[in-house]
Amino acid sequence: MKRRQRRLLLIGAGGAVLCVAVALVLFALKDSIVFFNSPTDVIDKHVASGTRIRLGGLVKPGSLTRGANFAVRFAVTDGNKEIPVAYSGALPDLFREGQGVIAEGAIDGAGIFEADTILAKHDEKYMPREVADALKKQGHWMGENK
Amino acid sequence: MIAELGHYALVLALGLALVQASVPIWGARTRDPALMAVGTSTALAQFAFVAFSFAALTWCHVVSDFSLLTVFENSHSAKPLIYKITGVWGNHEGSMLLWVLILALFGALVAAFGRNLPAALKATVLAVQAWIAAAFHLFILVTSNPFVRIPNPPFEGRDLNPILQDPGLAIHPPLLYLGYVGFSITFSFAIAALIEGRIDAAWARWVRPWALVAWMFLTLGIAMGSFWAYYTLGWGGWWFWDPVENASLMPWLAGTALLHSAVVMEKRDALKVWTVLLAILAFSLSLVGTFLVRSGVLVSVHTFANDPSRGVFILAILILFIGGSFALYAWRAPALRQGGLFAPVSREGALLLNNLFLTTICATVFVGTLYPLALEALTGDKISVGAPFFNATVGRLAVPLLIAIPFGPLLAWKRGDLYGVAQRLLAALAVAIVAMAAAFAVAGGGPVLAPFVVGLAFFVMAGALTDVAERTGLFRVPFAAVVSRAAGLPRSSWGTAIAHFGVGVSLLGIVGETQWGAERIAAVKPGETVSVRHYDLTLDGLSQRRGPNYQERVAHFTVRRNGDVIGAMEPATRAFPVRQMNKNEAALMTRGTSQLYVSLGDADENGAVTVRLYHKPLVLLIWIGAVVMMAGGALSLSDRRLRVGAPRPARQKPALQPAE
Amino acid sequence: MALWFPLALMTAAAVFIVLWPLGRARLAPASRGDVAVYRDQMRELERDRTAGLIGAGEADAARVEISRRLLAAADAEGEASPASVAPWRRRFIAVAALLALPLGVITFYLALGFPGLPDQPLAARTNGPENRSIAALVAQVEDRLERNPQDGRGWEVIGPVYMRLGRFDDAVRARRNALRLLGASAAREGDLGEALVAAANGVVTAEAKSAFDHALALDAHDARAKFFTGVAAQQDGKNADAAAIWRDLLAQAPADAPWANVVRQSLARLENPVPQTAAPGPSNADVAAAADMSPEARTQMVRGMVERLAQRLARDGSDLDGWVRLVRAYFVLGEHQHALDAAADARRALAGDQDKLHQFDAALTDLAAGGNVAGVEAPK
Repeated sequence: MKRRQRRLLLIGAGGAVLCVAVALVLFALKDSIVFFNSPTDVIDKHVASGTRIRLGGLVKPGSLTRGANFAVRFAVTDGNKEIPVAYSGALPDLFREGQGVIAEGAIDGAGIFEADTILAKHDEKYMPREVADALKKQGHWMGENK
Repeated sequence: MIAELGHYALVLALGLALVQASVPIWGARTRDPALMAVGTSTALAQFAFVAFSFAALTWCHVVSDFSLLTVFENSHSAKPLIYKITGVWGNHEGSMLLWVLILALFGALVAAFGRNLPAALKATVLAVQAWIAAAFHLFILVTSNPFVRIPNPPFEGRDLNPILQDPGLAIHPPLLYLGYVGFSITFSFAIAALIEGRIDAAWARWVRPWALVAWMFLTLGIAMGSFWAYYTLGWGGWWFWDPVENASLMPWLAGTALLHSAVVMEKRDALKVWTVLLAILAFSLSLVGTFLVRSGVLVSVHTFANDPSRGVFILAILILFIGGSFALYAWRAPALRQGGLFAPVSREGALLLNNLFLTTICATVFVGTLYPLALEALTGDKISVGAPFFNATVGRLAVPLLIAIPFGPLLAWKRGDLYGVAQRLLAALAVAIVAMAAAFAVAGGGPVLAPFVVGLAFFVMAGALTDVAERTGLFRVPFAAVVSRAAGLPRSSWGTAIAHFGVGVSLLGIVGETQWGAERIAAVKPGETVSVRHYDLTLDGLSQRRGPNYQERVAHFTVRRNGDVIGAMEPATRAFPVRQMNKNEAALMTRGTSQLYVSLGDADENGAVTVRLYHKPLVLLIWIGAVVMMAGGALSLSDRRLRVGAPRPARQKPALQPAE
Repeated sequence: MALWFPLALMTAAAVFIVLWPLGRARLAPASRGDVAVYRDQMRELERDRTAGLIGAGEADAARVEISRRLLAAADAEGEASPASVAPWRRRFIAVAALLALPLGVITFYLALGFPGLPDQPLAARTNGPENRSIAALVAQVEDRLERNPQDGRGWEVIGPVYMRLGRFDDAVRARRNALRLLGASAAREGDLGEALVAAANGVVTAEAKSAFDHALALDAHDARAKFFTGVAAQQDGKNADAAAIWRDLLAQAPADAPWANVVRQSLARLENPVPQTAAPGPSNADVAAAADMSPEARTQMVRGMVERLAQRLARDGSDLDGWVRLVRAYFVLGEHQHALDAAADARRALAGDQDKLHQFDAALTDLAAGGNVAGVEAPK
């Protein structure tokens, strides 16, 4: 009887911790999940302005302009559609025109993607997986791995 | 010829692994000592052949034998010797060979030092170890063979990825693998126990040193990897919740839980079924980690493999071993005898609580890492679960665990006195509150979180000291008695206190870096000065330098604090012509345990260069803490009673001690 | 074959390792591991109790628990099932190890391995047995030349050796010295021109062109110099001139001239251009091989490399030097439209980087002003 009570107590404590953990996981997931979209997705799906997303594609060659105070503008393209991106801050070392990039942020009222994070990877080998997939879908892929 | 001998040795190792996988277990089932002994000799020989194979591959890298495809793709004749050697495991094929080398090494260690193990258990353990080895030998030979040759080799290789040309990376994967693969031994012991249907305190005592060794290397490997990312990636981050990092964190969490539950099992014969489960879990998570990193499921800096056939093969290994072991567990575990009783408030209870939280955190990390993959496979939606998720979940779950750390070692076995322990921890609590107040005052208000975590860190550290003070009777008995008690204290007790102290140290580093770090981005022209915190950095000029296989652009900064020159910093960017890649070389200046971090960006049209400056208070404590934790583990391992196998019974008379 | 001996030795060792324990029918000593652990637990319990880490009541209960387990372990050891020894099992395993292990391993290895392929460490390949005499010769001559750099004969001897070793820059230096010290001759001027072309990956540079011009001035019938003048014309895009030069060369050629065929092929290619074949990845091996190639095969290789460079730049447009090289290469190959397109692409790709853009324009101006691309308008 006593043994059983102890066991119940242990199971109860374990269950309680697990419940808390599950609740934490669910809440955190709800808050911190960010969907990935290619420019075509953004335009076709009419992603609402203000929704936080990750935008991935290639930096359109010739689209990069720099302003004062590390403000930069460039366009992200998937070979089909393109989206203008505004960002303020130092770009990653591996950021290059014509290279894969992921911008995290939201579209503003004017249709410009206001990014607060820019992730870049150097060559196709290290291209973010999402970007590679999206580009493949657009038939714009010329990586070495088929 | 050396390359072909290495290749042949690897095939021979597979052959021996197959013998080792079958004959000893047959011997164990039929109680035939000769058959069981085959396990020992083949385990040693398998290691010898894999080691020969690895040495042959290393030799081919050193002499730049570009007739090997892996050497051609990952080496270059102009590369410094050290990176020719580290290039052996800087790629998929070589790193898998290192993986099996370590697997074979652990098998050989059990064979060589497991003399005290019951013969049947040892034979079964070695057989299970050989199942894993055979699967991975086959994987290497079929899908990732490092000995593939080119008949008409080119005259120059394609270089090693410059990001990977770094001393940190030279030792980081071997350490990590020693950790990952170390858990294969505890796994083999668990499976062997399930097959033998016998598990007891002695089993825990045999398993614990192995778990401890694996845990130590994994701790050091994770710390090294984090330090490498910190100084090499150019923006001073030390933990990214990258799936590759999570892949090493999950076995660490499970392994830490295993370490603690094995104590309960060894000392009190309780929590057996749970410990076996953790042993299986720790290695399964290592396999999951290997799968994530090696299959190309995730693409990140660490991933060199892109061939899907590899992914499918590893997935098959994964399903076979994890599925098989859990099926065996479900079938055999209910038959295992339950052991000692204990009250919820007791040392056992505290360790169980620790296990509960560690495994819950581990499960959370698991969900966060695999949920995006699962969602994409099911719905095609691509999501990212980033740092905010992990900070919100792991951060909160870790707080009760950390609070509980000082209580655990002070609680008595079987039935503890929580109130008494709390009283003994009053001093530690006082230290924590003072630290909290000091942190609050120094930070000048600000978020409450940082001072709270500082207090928590000091509570953990002071708690560890309290543990030692209590055990040696410090302040209660005369000093001479304290010294003699301290000398008589088991090393594993010291190890516990030191490892727990290390947790507090790391925590202090984490809170310092994340809450009080300063960051500044600026465009600087030669002659200009830029400041971060109390440091003023003047750009003296830029220059070009030529290295063995790269060209670098160096910025020369003079660092001043309150007008006094305290040193120079020279961040650089390196261009590697062969790979057409650039690499950032950040400059670091250590001030106590804090660091000043400068990395160089692009030059703009006006001749100004973009620099990123960071002040990272207490950042070194993160890794110092990990090293302290590892030192605690090492001390615990050196405890005579814990050394491989049980104490030698020869010196004692075989008669039983009278049961009072 | 030398490889089979160590392979056989290794196999024998592996088989022996399996057989060895089978031959020793010893009985495993009964383990006392469990008992020792429990006894140790007893001692530790005592220690914990003196340290106050466990209550007296709990300690008694624990002692009873441990004693019970201790007794059980001692009993289990006493009645451990006796070791069974069945000779047939050992014989079966021995036979399997003798037959299946070597056979399986060798079959699998033969399916995967490359037993016929010797090691090819880089040092041995540049300094191997067949090259040793050359290497020794080179070292000897270099040594002498170091002490006596005015030895024109020495420079002349080492020139062709450098060419064969693929050390084209050294060959250029050697032939320049030979020319300077021994005086001009059509052959020496032609040698220098050839080395310059090889060093420039098959491109007839302005300097090489002038060397061939000198050679022709000394001997208007020097076939090699004439041929390369044709190549230069072709690379400048003056296909008609090239064709005229080569036709002239063929007309003068002795019937049995070994090079006549090469010229004929070049001419044929000029008149019916073949589509480019996409060559596999460029490597230094290709470049080294170029040393032994006929000049037009070399041009072919250059084209392949240009093609690959263009592909790479299409993916990564940030490489300033690459763009300059590409534009230059197109100019040299006479493909002016391509060159202008590439320049436009380069400007687009470099648009974000004013610094590089300036450098690029400066390089283009240099390029257009250079001797070997005369007649091309300087781009704005």
